Amino acid sequence: MSEPVRKESKNPDVSRRQAFVQLGVGSICAASAGAMVFGYEFLTPNVLYEPSPIVNAGKPDGYPPGTVTQDLPSGLYLVHGSEGLYALSAVCTHLGCLTAWKPELGIVACPCHGSKFRRDGSKIEGPAPRPLRWLKIWLSDEGDLLVDRSEELSRKQFVRT
Amino acid sequence: MSERKDFVASFDSDSRKTAVRVAFVTRRKSPHVKVHDDDYVMTFPEALFRGAVAVEILALLLVLLSLFWNAPLEKLADPLETPNPAKAPWYFLGLQELLHYFPPVVAGVLIPTLVLIALIVIPYFKINVQAEGLWTRNRSARLRILALTVALFAVFLIAFNVYAVLIPTLLMAGFMFFAATNRAASGRFHRWLASKPLSFWIMSWFLIQAAVLTLIGTFFRGPGWSLVMPWSGDI
Amino acid sequence: MADTLETQLPRGRGGRVWQSIFRSGLGDTNLRRALAIQQNLFLHLASVKVRKRSLSFRVTWFLGTLSLGTFAILVVTGVPLMLYYHPSVPQAYSDMNDLRFVVSAGLFLRNLHRWSAHSMVLLVFAHMFKVFYRGAYRPPREFNWVIGVVLLLLTLFLSYTGYLLPWDQLAFWAITVGSNLISAMPIVGARIRFLILGGNGVNANALLRFYVLHCVILPLAAVAFVAIHFWRIRKDGGLYHGGSERHE
Repeated sequence: MSEPVRKESKNPDVSRRQAFVQLGVGSICAASAGAMVFGYEFLTPNVLYEPSPIVNAGKPDGYPPGTVTQDLPSGLYLVHGSEGLYALSAVCTHLGCLTAWKPELGIVACPCHGSKFRRDGSKIEGPAPRPLRWLKIWLSDEGDLLVDRSEELSRKQFVRT
Repeated sequence: MSERKDFVASFDSDSRKTAVRVAFVTRRKSPHVKVHDDDYVMTFPEALFRGAVAVEILALLLVLLSLFWNAPLEKLADPLETPNPAKAPWYFLGLQELLHYFPPVVAGVLIPTLVLIALIVIPYFKINVQAEGLWTRNRSARLRILALTVALFAVFLIAFNVYAVLIPTLLMAGFMFFAATNRAASGRFHRWLASKPLSFWIMSWFLIQAAVLTLIGTFFRGPGWSLVMPWSGDI
Repeated sequence: MADTLETQLPRGRGGRVWQSIFRSGLGDTNLRRALAIQQNLFLHLASVKVRKRSLSFRVTWFLGTLSLGTFAILVVTGVPLMLYYHPSVPQAYSDMNDLRFVVSAGLFLRNLHRWSAHSMVLLVFAHMFKVFYRGAYRPPREFNWVIGVVLLLLTLFLSYTGYLLPWDQLAFWAITVGSNLISAMPIVGARIRFLILGGNGVNANALLRFYVLHCVILPLAAVAFVAIHFWRIRKDGGLYHGGSERHE
């Protein structure tokens, strides 16, 4: 059975040794790959003790037409424009600083790198790559405004009151 | 096959080890010995004690600094209030200054990655190992390349309004052109500049650039990352 | 009895106890001075002899030695600081105030740690530029230059992770801005930021991860790379000593 093999290679020990080396290196590689997957899984928290992304912004009556209200704890702007109520994230799209509404200028300004935005979130100037994020907003059954901070909308959405 | 030679060819420059030496001097080379083998001293105690004294002096200075100058501590971290201006540690302020001009992918990822790769490959590139002055050969061709590069870069910088990079770059280019000028009776400074290789110019440009950006970010940026004077108290 | 005591008693350097620890004995001959380096686990990273020229202040400005010195100060001040520090929110911040007002010499240790950290970053940068301008990165020292770049990165990471630990406004927003930089990386950026912070924002998980990085992982890595860095100086033919060195 082992005769043909012996004829091909001069020293059967060498090929056998190579096979074992390959087996060893291969199993170390497999183990490393497994360890990396395991490490990635371990380092990713499965439960986060962070505030819920969905916040209750209260009754729509609290936001009269033509106003911009900054809700500090949730990092939101609730704007009542001509088309209705909408929610903007106050987190700057540049590097995550918390922007502030400047009522005297009628703009949103970021303190970190000087980005400025209009009340619809579009950029006036500064290094921010994108406009402020539009967030999903809807009325609950109880008539409260709910905003989902984790979901960015691609189209503008309004709540009419 | 060949006959046994009664000498052995080797490299050596120590007259104490090898008494008789033959130097083969090829054409256009001179048998000038630039450096003799250095004198050696024992690491213990010479080097160790010098190092220890240096570290002791530094420790003394740091202790004095710590006794008279307290480390800053602001109020408790508050995710609801961004301080104005919000600044990174000083060694990242050059980067933060760039972030003011360019989108994060460029200033925050591309530029640091390129700088890092450039630093790592320095000793593996021939231009860095060369010690020959930049202008000693191909002067006119190199002048044209430099002028073109600087002009293109300047247009790019003006388009993005990055004067904090533009001015040091032009200054550096000015020095390079000055070094390229042919002057019969050149001063010491000119001769020193003229002897510098390309790697010197690139690194010096990087050093000056990093220093200028860091200084601007540290001392001249106030609320909303606007330009202020260091003594205005807003930084 | 008295006889044995006399011979057993240590008599300072060169005595029996001394010799049981340091085999080399007194440094009174060049052989023993060489053994003092070569027989020591830590010192034998360095060569037994050095070029006299490379010892002058002009050549190195002692920047590498001083960087190592600041690192030593940081370890010596950092470990006692750990005894009064809890990496949790908002306890970390009140620990800072305890260090300032309650713990004896706490203020001093924190100051020394902070200023040494800034000095180390400055010294490591200066060391890099000095090595470059002397041309000391040229072959055969090219790999030691790369190790040096790794050490520069480790220094920056060490300083940056330490920056969050006081959990004050300065710390929180510097890390918020810095970590958002990571997420600017295409494709993997957001995942990497999530892994480093252990969450979607800078919070208690991030503080704990930065604490472990700052106190365990990065210092151990730094020690290993510093050892290689020093050892390579010897292996690459000692400190660079001028422009006319030849390599065949």
